Amino acid sequence: MKIAARDLAVRFGGITALDGVDFELNRGEIVGLIGPNGAGKTTLFNCITGVVAPNAGSVVVDGADISNHRFDLRVHLGISRTFQTPRVNAHGTVLEAVMLGFNPIVKKPLFGSFFGSRSVRKAEADMESRAHNLISELGITTDPTKRAGDLSLGALRLVEVARALAAGPHYLLLDEPAAGIDENDQGVLANVIRKAAKDGIGVLIVEHNVPFVADLCGRLIALVQGRIAASGEPSGVLSDPHFVRAYLGDSNAG
Amino acid sequence: MSKSVGRNAGVLTIVMLGILIVGQGHSSLYATAITVGLYALLGVPLGLIYGCGGVLSLAQAAFAAIGGYASALLFSHYHLPPEATLLPAIIVPALFAYVVSRPILRLPEMSMALATLALGLLVEVVFSSSGGLTGGYEGVTGLPPIPIVGNSRVGVLLLVWSAVIICVYCYDAFRTSARGRALIAIHVDRLLAESVGIPVARELSLLFAITAGISGFVGWLYAHYLGYIGPGSLNVHLSANLLFMVVVGGRKYSLGPVLGAAFFVFAGDWLPGSAQAHGMVFGALIVLVLLLVPEGLLSLVQSRFRWKRVASRPIPQSSQLSPEQSL
Ligand SMILES: Nc1ncnc2c1ncn2[C@@H]1O[C@H](COP(=O)(O)OP(=O)(O)OP(=O)(O)O)[C@@H](O)[C@H]1O
Ligand SMILES: [Mg+2]
Repeated sequence: MKIAARDLAVRFGGITALDGVDFELNRGEIVGLIGPNGAGKTTLFNCITGVVAPNAGSVVVDGADISNHRFDLRVHLGISRTFQTPRVNAHGTVLEAVMLGFNPIVKKPLFGSFFGSRSVRKAEADMESRAHNLISELGITTDPTKRAGDLSLGALRLVEVARALAAGPHYLLLDEPAAGIDENDQGVLANVIRKAAKDGIGVLIVEHNVPFVADLCGRLIALVQGRIAASGEPSGVLSDPHFVRAYLGDSNAG
Repeated sequence: MSKSVGRNAGVLTIVMLGILIVGQGHSSLYATAITVGLYALLGVPLGLIYGCGGVLSLAQAAFAAIGGYASALLFSHYHLPPEATLLPAIIVPALFAYVVSRPILRLPEMSMALATLALGLLVEVVFSSSGGLTGGYEGVTGLPPIPIVGNSRVGVLLLVWSAVIICVYCYDAFRTSARGRALIAIHVDRLLAESVGIPVARELSLLFAITAGISGFVGWLYAHYLGYIGPGSLNVHLSANLLFMVVVGGRKYSLGPVLGAAFFVFAGDWLPGSAQAHGMVFGALIVLVLLLVPEGLLSLVQSRFRWKRVASRPIPQSSQLSPEQSL
């Protein structure tokens, strides 16, 4: 059971964002995706989740080719993601932001929703308590009834992770989850990711914080200018001269 | 959350009973209240798709006209009584709205307004220029009264306002359901909505069709209440006024459109002067309301009772990005 992308290519006008990328993510493993700004990391996320249609290549999930599936349909196949810049309804509460994540797994009968049927209200109460659990699991200490727009960037990132986990995904794609959050929260986040992997979720993390991913991931993929420059054990990738030169600049290459 | 769902509907029920009692002495109040009710019945669903979902429609009166005409033509051509035409009057505009919605609802708000405006004009032209089939500019006369309530004003008032009360209840229930959160997410950020698996286009089309169906019901009520329907009865002018009612009353509250409808009708009754001067004063009044209370008249009441605790800190930059900015 895995996500397998083959030979992905994405061009935006003259820019080649991805150029023949092969990629795999198994359930239960944690993979880190690193690389300099503009390397194509977010674009790879967008191809897997269906936000961007690749110019070439295919995406196969658990054996089914989903290359032509819309973004919203892929979520129902168990692929959840967060965004590099968190997206929330700033006017809604933290609790509502997390509850939105239950969307793929909750029944939403049309007439029941309009008439407030008993089953809808029960599902609502149920979601609310599960959202509270997720919020405390992720160490989000802000009052859940607070406006999401009033949160710090770090807290918003954790809210997004909670929302992505709410759907009960098989694969979790996190775009720079540790950027802008303090060390204490990074620790909580790392534990949540480890637990998710232990529960059988395949986790893909884009991160500029190399020590954070190196510690967490069993495998790293280094992307440079839309191509995979190196992949494998973290120690191997981080000492790969090709990658080091591209990522850290020539002075560190020695 | 769920305990307060029936509150607004309850308030409206009390208002309706109040009108019934007070109106016994002044029968013109009943007629006014029926007009307010019909506008509210068009306005509340519009308030839901516009206020929560960002769907700016100037075709709501056209959907009502389709419903009214469906019933009138089935009567004049096939002698079907209103009991039998009720369902077609709801389903025909709903289906029509569903079919035309896909391309329209993809557009940004302003283009959506223009596209629905064009749709409304088109419907008007079709009804006025189809000669013998629709009665042309003269419309269809001699329609039978609404079943059961007949020509009783109290009866019509009860029927129309009960429908409004049900709509307000449904609005509030929907708003606090998972589907309601989905609609708000679509409005805030379509990419966010898709990222949690919401089929944006289908959801909007479905809700749009439902509002069109309710509008069709209003058209049916209108046609059989007055015994007449013509191309000028439920026109684009009314669609624009409905939007005013929603915005002036408060587009984020279920009772907003009801208050807006009452404001609109009563201001129209009480303003002095000719019809033209009337229009100008009215326009000025709307601008004034929008400048002073951009969230609508109801926000004055709501802010007093409910939102006191909410901090009014500005939203941090990170959470109000346009969809294009860094995914
Ligand atoms: N929607 C788009 N339209 C045009 N160009 C784009 C678009 N999205 C990405 N790009 C370009 O594609 C390239 C790869 O961008 P991408 O966002 O995938 O990089 P990244 O590795 O995520 O970088 P960062 O670390 O800065 O987030 C960049 O040159 C970027 O400018
Ligand atoms: Mg990126």
